[in-house]
Amino acid sequence: MRQQRHELWLALPSLCVVALFCIVFVSFASVSLMKVDPGGAVMHGPLSLSNYERALVSPAVRQTAYYTIRLALLITLLSVLLGYPLAYVLARSPSSRMRRAILLCLVATFLSGGVTRAYAWTIILGNRGLINLGLQWLGLPRLALINNETGVIISVLNFILPFFVLTLFGAIRTIPLNLEQAARNLGASRGRVFRHVTLPLSLPGLAASASLAFALSLGAFLFPQLLGGGRVQVMATLIYDRILSSYDIPAAATLSVLFLLLVLTLLGGLALARRLIGSRYGAPEAA
Amino acid sequence: MSTTRSYPWGVSAIAAIVVGFIVLPLPFIIVYAFSPTNYLVFPPTGLTTRWFANFFANDRFRAAMFNSLSISAIVTIVTLAMALPTAILAVRHPFKGRALLLNFVSAPLLVPGVVSGMAALSLLGQSGIGVGYWPIVVAMICFTLPLALRPLVANLSGIDPDLETAARNLGAGRLGAFVFATLPSLAPGLIAGGTFVFVETMDNFSITVFLTDLRTTTLPVEAFSYIRDFDDPTVAAMATLLILLSVAIVFAIEAVLGLDRFLDLG
Repeated sequence: MRQQRHELWLALPSLCVVALFCIVFVSFASVSLMKVDPGGAVMHGPLSLSNYERALVSPAVRQTAYYTIRLALLITLLSVLLGYPLAYVLARSPSSRMRRAILLCLVATFLSGGVTRAYAWTIILGNRGLINLGLQWLGLPRLALINNETGVIISVLNFILPFFVLTLFGAIRTIPLNLEQAARNLGASRGRVFRHVTLPLSLPGLAASASLAFALSLGAFLFPQLLGGGRVQVMATLIYDRILSSYDIPAAATLSVLFLLLVLTLLGGLALARRLIGSRYGAPEAA
Repeated sequence: MSTTRSYPWGVSAIAAIVVGFIVLPLPFIIVYAFSPTNYLVFPPTGLTTRWFANFFANDRFRAAMFNSLSISAIVTIVTLAMALPTAILAVRHPFKGRALLLNFVSAPLLVPGVVSGMAALSLLGQSGIGVGYWPIVVAMICFTLPLALRPLVANLSGIDPDLETAARNLGAGRLGAFVFATLPSLAPGLIAGGTFVFVETMDNFSITVFLTDLRTTTLPVEAFSYIRDFDDPTVAAMATLLILLSVAIVFAIEAVLGLDRFLDLG
């Protein structure tokens, strides 16, 4: 016991960060209760819930919150549909060279960052971009792929897929191949093996990667900002616009607190669902 | 038996298309960076390095690049140094509040970047400190600490503590035993954690956009404002440089550590 106490100083650096984080969020919550005079920079009391009242009765805020969740769910669903086959091939491909090549591509993309890719998509999807140039060449009419929902969905999906695939790949890889081979040897078709062996065993990993995709799409900011062209408003861009247009920090802080509560509630619900899936289909997870 | 595929070719086809979709922006932006026109022409009419020259001639981009690189270097070193003792405590000296501490440290990952940026901005505004270089450094250290901690905890869990005990029995001091018996085996965790922290700090937009001002910007924020004002491939040249950096990092990781080990630690 004495030795344990002796070692606790090792936590000091992390505790400083945690303490700073707490201070930031206390200050943040208190700022959301303040006011700022138009044109002024000084925030002051008296503390009141009037910012929250205004935000909660605003139809624009409610609509944006609803839209943000809907968009995140759609992107998560698309990640699952497109990402699962890739993660499966990556985990089960008999060619180690191909696996290596795909991994190199995924990690290089993942490390090259969001700004690079967001910019690339504005050019690819633009009115004179790669897709529309191709359509024109084929004699087809141009499509509006940017400054709308389509552009945001394509680019956010592109950003999230490497995270999703790499997480799910790690989970599928830990499922023993023997189980699938045993089912095949006993006469099950490939489809049946997938439905009754692989899919159930991969559910905890799938739930973890889907939650990650959902959390990332809820918080996505740069992609809606660049590819939405001001016409796609999610919570993140709404908060940024509030700062940019009026520099009203208390109002923006209020929206951020509400957004944070929304995200934590949704992710808490997901964590609960994951625990249920985990207890049904796999070993309980520490994370 | 183990060399046969367990999936139909249609699944491979979908996987190939998805890889193509994921990778598409990178080769595309590199080609665009050398395009002589600021719009796409097919077939390309020539090659130019004009946009790279443009990028390096731009004072704001040069300053932003210096800020981004130096902030990322500082944040990487400080964050690793702060995560290491926590990892040692969590793995080697389990205590009552261990899970709580790890959860608290990981909490920033759940908070949307815009909310973290707003929160930092409110404190800096309320306290009168203001935004700028060092506030960005501190904010990114807080935010990237869990990215460094996870690989270190995973790595350290796989190292036999008896190595250190043996070194101590042979007469090494506590610090010496750690530095010579354990630290060398921690290189993979430090490399993986350092990569995650460096890349996240270089690329972060949603937090730093709230903490930059006219005097101090970072590459992503500067690129963002350039895109709004100008319509030419200068940002594509910047993106090409960043892609080269990340490809170099990937090959370095593959050579030193192996990608599989790297991904296991992430």
